[in-house]
Amino acid sequence: MAALLEVRDLTIEFTTKAGIVHAVEGASFDVERGEALGLAGESGCGKTTTALALMRLLPYNGRIVRGSISFAGRSLVPLEEASMRAIRWKEMSIVFQGAMNSLNPVQRVGRQIAEPIILHEDADSDVALKRAGDLLELVGISRNRLNDYPHEFSGGMRQRVMIAMALACDPKLVIADEPVTALDVMIQAQILDLLERLRRELDLAMILISHDLSVLADTCEQVTIMYAGKTMESGKTMDLFTDPKHPYTQGLVGAFPDIRGPRNMPEAIPGDVPSLISPPSGCVFHPRCKFAFDRCSNAEPELSELAPGRRAACFLYPEVTEVPGRSMPIATR
Amino acid sequence: MPGDPSLSIIPRDPKFRGLRDYMISFFGLDRPQWEQFVIYLQRLFTLDWGLSYQDHRPVADILLHDLGWTLLLVGTSTILTVLIGIAIGAYSAIRRGKPFDFVSTGIGIFLYGMPIFWLGLVLQSAFRKNSVFQGWIPWWPALPTSGYYDDRLIPWNWDILHVADAFLHLLLPALTLSLGTLAGISLVMRNSLIDVMTEDFVTTARAKGLSPRQVLRRHILPNGMPPMVSLIALDIAFILGGAYQVEVIFRYQGIGFRTIEAIGSLDYPLLQFIIVIGGAAVVIANLLADFLLLWLDPRIKIS
Amino acid sequence: MGTVEVVKVGGVISPFRARAIVVGRRMQDIGLQVFHNKTAMAGLIILIFFTVLAVAAPLIAPYGPLSAVPDVGPLTLPAPGHPFGTNQFGYDIYSQVIWGTQISLLVGVLAAAVASVIGTAVGLVSGFVGGWIDEVIMRFNDVVLSIPWLVLMIVIAARLNYLDLVGIILVIGLTGWSVTARVVRSQVLSLKERMFVERGRMIGSSNTHILLRHIFPNAFPLIFANTILTVAVSILSESVLAFLNLSVKSNVSWGRIIAEAYQHDALTIGMAEWLIVPGLCIVFLVFGFYLFGYALDEILNPRLRRR
Ligand SMILES: Nc1ncnc2c1ncn2[C@@H]1O[C@H](COP(=O)(O)OP(=O)(O)OP(=O)(O)O)[C@@H](O)[C@H]1O
Ligand SMILES: [Mg+2]
Repeated sequence: MAALLEVRDLTIEFTTKAGIVHAVEGASFDVERGEALGLAGESGCGKTTTALALMRLLPYNGRIVRGSISFAGRSLVPLEEASMRAIRWKEMSIVFQGAMNSLNPVQRVGRQIAEPIILHEDADSDVALKRAGDLLELVGISRNRLNDYPHEFSGGMRQRVMIAMALACDPKLVIADEPVTALDVMIQAQILDLLERLRRELDLAMILISHDLSVLADTCEQVTIMYAGKTMESGKTMDLFTDPKHPYTQGLVGAFPDIRGPRNMPEAIPGDVPSLISPPSGCVFHPRCKFAFDRCSNAEPELSELAPGRRAACFLYPEVTEVPGRSMPIATR
Repeated sequence: MPGDPSLSIIPRDPKFRGLRDYMISFFGLDRPQWEQFVIYLQRLFTLDWGLSYQDHRPVADILLHDLGWTLLLVGTSTILTVLIGIAIGAYSAIRRGKPFDFVSTGIGIFLYGMPIFWLGLVLQSAFRKNSVFQGWIPWWPALPTSGYYDDRLIPWNWDILHVADAFLHLLLPALTLSLGTLAGISLVMRNSLIDVMTEDFVTTARAKGLSPRQVLRRHILPNGMPPMVSLIALDIAFILGGAYQVEVIFRYQGIGFRTIEAIGSLDYPLLQFIIVIGGAAVVIANLLADFLLLWLDPRIKIS
Repeated sequence: MGTVEVVKVGGVISPFRARAIVVGRRMQDIGLQVFHNKTAMAGLIILIFFTVLAVAAPLIAPYGPLSAVPDVGPLTLPAPGHPFGTNQFGYDIYSQVIWGTQISLLVGVLAAAVASVIGTAVGLVSGFVGGWIDEVIMRFNDVVLSIPWLVLMIVIAARLNYLDLVGIILVIGLTGWSVTARVVRSQVLSLKERMFVERGRMIGSSNTHILLRHIFPNAFPLIFANTILTVAVSILSESVLAFLNLSVKSNVSWGRIIAEAYQHDALTIGMAEWLIVPGLCIVFLVFGFYLFGYALDEILNPRLRRR
């Protein structure tokens, strides 16, 4: 059976006065039913843009120029707006980056949670509000607070409200865009636990977006690493973290200090994310890559399969369509 | 104090000498200015607003009568303006950068820069009897261009004839005032809504599968309204300024018309009271706005 | 914004220099953006047109502002030599309209300057000092804002009975500063936040220094945009006062030409130009200032610019 979500060669551009921003180029990934995919990468690498494109919610100056999104057997890119609206929230919902501003400040949270239920399930408002109460309790908030306004909640609680809202119509897929970024560490852990528990209980598929690899480590089966709009590496979470192949992934993994280890300063990747209006030639990462050689600035490496389920886009790994079990070429450390 | 108001009451003629001296002391004009001022303040707080120099009636009586008509004018055109302005502003915010937005914003800025008195004069010339346009277009309407209602209908009666005539007389002044203030409202509405549209909760609303119209009505407008309400309240002073000009042009004898007359005859008790009323109107408008805000925006608390 | 990066390089460039560089670069940047902004350019062209008209009035206008056209009586219909006709004294209306540009521009710009200086000072102090001083100033500002400006101006103008050029500028300027004060204050508040949050209170520099060297330069573009808009408002105010015969009496101004046209029923006697042209002049001049100010505001106000 095909995966729940199959994204192939997704390419997104923004038209701006300064030129065309190549925000995402050739993104390809699958999300299986009930499985979690992590999307990681530095700020500005196109994670949110990808998420918005999946729901076809790109801002007016952005468009999908090529590629396909197939969700539960339907192709979303050519779908007309009305059918897309029927899918939004009913089958695929999203928790946006920064819950502070994702709730309407002048509407009671109960009504906000109930809104999609009324819209998609033709429920009357009493039923929907009762469901909203159940959902609040599911995320650990008393149903007495249905009539409160967003500003009466703390940041962590607002994020819970958002999560409750995302689950309102029993979606098949929940996209969580940096769900814990603005929160303190304790609350982060709580929210992540909550997400993890709900995912198991409700058998949800999930896309978890974060620039913080440690957030993804415990939650996701699969991880895709993005850089400057391009997919650098993807594979099983454990494999990818213990044995990162792509120099960028190595840098990212290295950037996270091990709490138990000696207190070294994280080994930052030197340089900045390049301009997406005129990206560097060849491999987009080569200006910052310590292994870069001539070829890297001339040609663009394909995302090639290094082992089943494990892919990377780097010339350090000659395109070996490998027999399972054979050892990989090792990055010269 | 410039000018001698007593001259506007009594001609400078030796015959009236005694009368003039009597009047001057009656109105207290012979005392030092500071004393006049203290007396004025004292009377202000005891609700004794003084008598008009001109027709010796209590200032309050005169102005309360005028105020009714001014309120009718300002009220009608404010409601018109707000409704139309919000509609245009909202529509051009949605169509940001599209032709409608471009044209309406352009026309808006253009109207915004139009002196209201001039707009009034032009409309008056265009719609009066035997206007140039009537020569060109047979069905071009003629509308009343002066007064509250036809002089032949005096005195006022609450019947259909009077009301209809008063309505006809209200049309041009209200239209002038509305056009003069419409642009400001719709431009601010547009920008306020564009501001709201960039908020994350609007994307959330779209992600819920709401149609653009539902997103606008349920999420964008309710958030765009509070700044609008405070702005309209602040604009009341501006709208009053416009009303003054309109009243003069259309001889609509409300407060504004009275002001200009009072200036002509240096009727200070009347003028001072007019300023007090103007200030009070603004204060009341702001109070109303605050209550409205309290209801519109749950984040605002009475403190 | 570039600030952070430059400063982050650390110690190499002093924060002050960095700020100065950034501000300078921003001004250049704004200049470029104005140049590429159609709205701003349209406004600028209108403004240049009227400025040239005002400055070159003695060269362009065939007659003086208050001198009769020889051999033509009062209230003559438009004809070659006096394209808009003559007024009740036999003055050439066409020339009057050209001369009127001077008063409108002069009063508009200078009154706006007065209003802007006061408003900026009040806004800077109020926003920067904060605390109860801010409270008091803002309450006072509310009161000023709530006074129907037109009535106040009319009353002042009427009380002084005669207003010369300076008088009219002061009356309009002194009643028009409170919006500027508000705008500047809120800008200062956000700048203050940004600067102090970003790199702590700058060590070793006095408040005055911070205010004048850091906050003011950053707020300046917005103050400038706001001043442009205030000019438009001031021009309108002057025209209203002139129409009510309360403005400068020794010079012609558009408002006064309109008033005279109105008194002599210009449209009925077939002299539509007398009423229409000076009105259109006001509209276009104000339109020019609004276009320019509005575009500047859009360029400078990041919230409007986003998306
Ligand atoms: N509406 C837009 N117009 C032009 N460029 C845009 C727009 N939205 C996003 N971009 C650009 O697209 C790129 C990707 O942005 P995106 O928000 O997807 O990054 P992100 O990975 O989510 O970053 P973060 O971790 O900061 O959220 C960025 O360079 C951004 O500047
Ligand atoms: Mg993002």
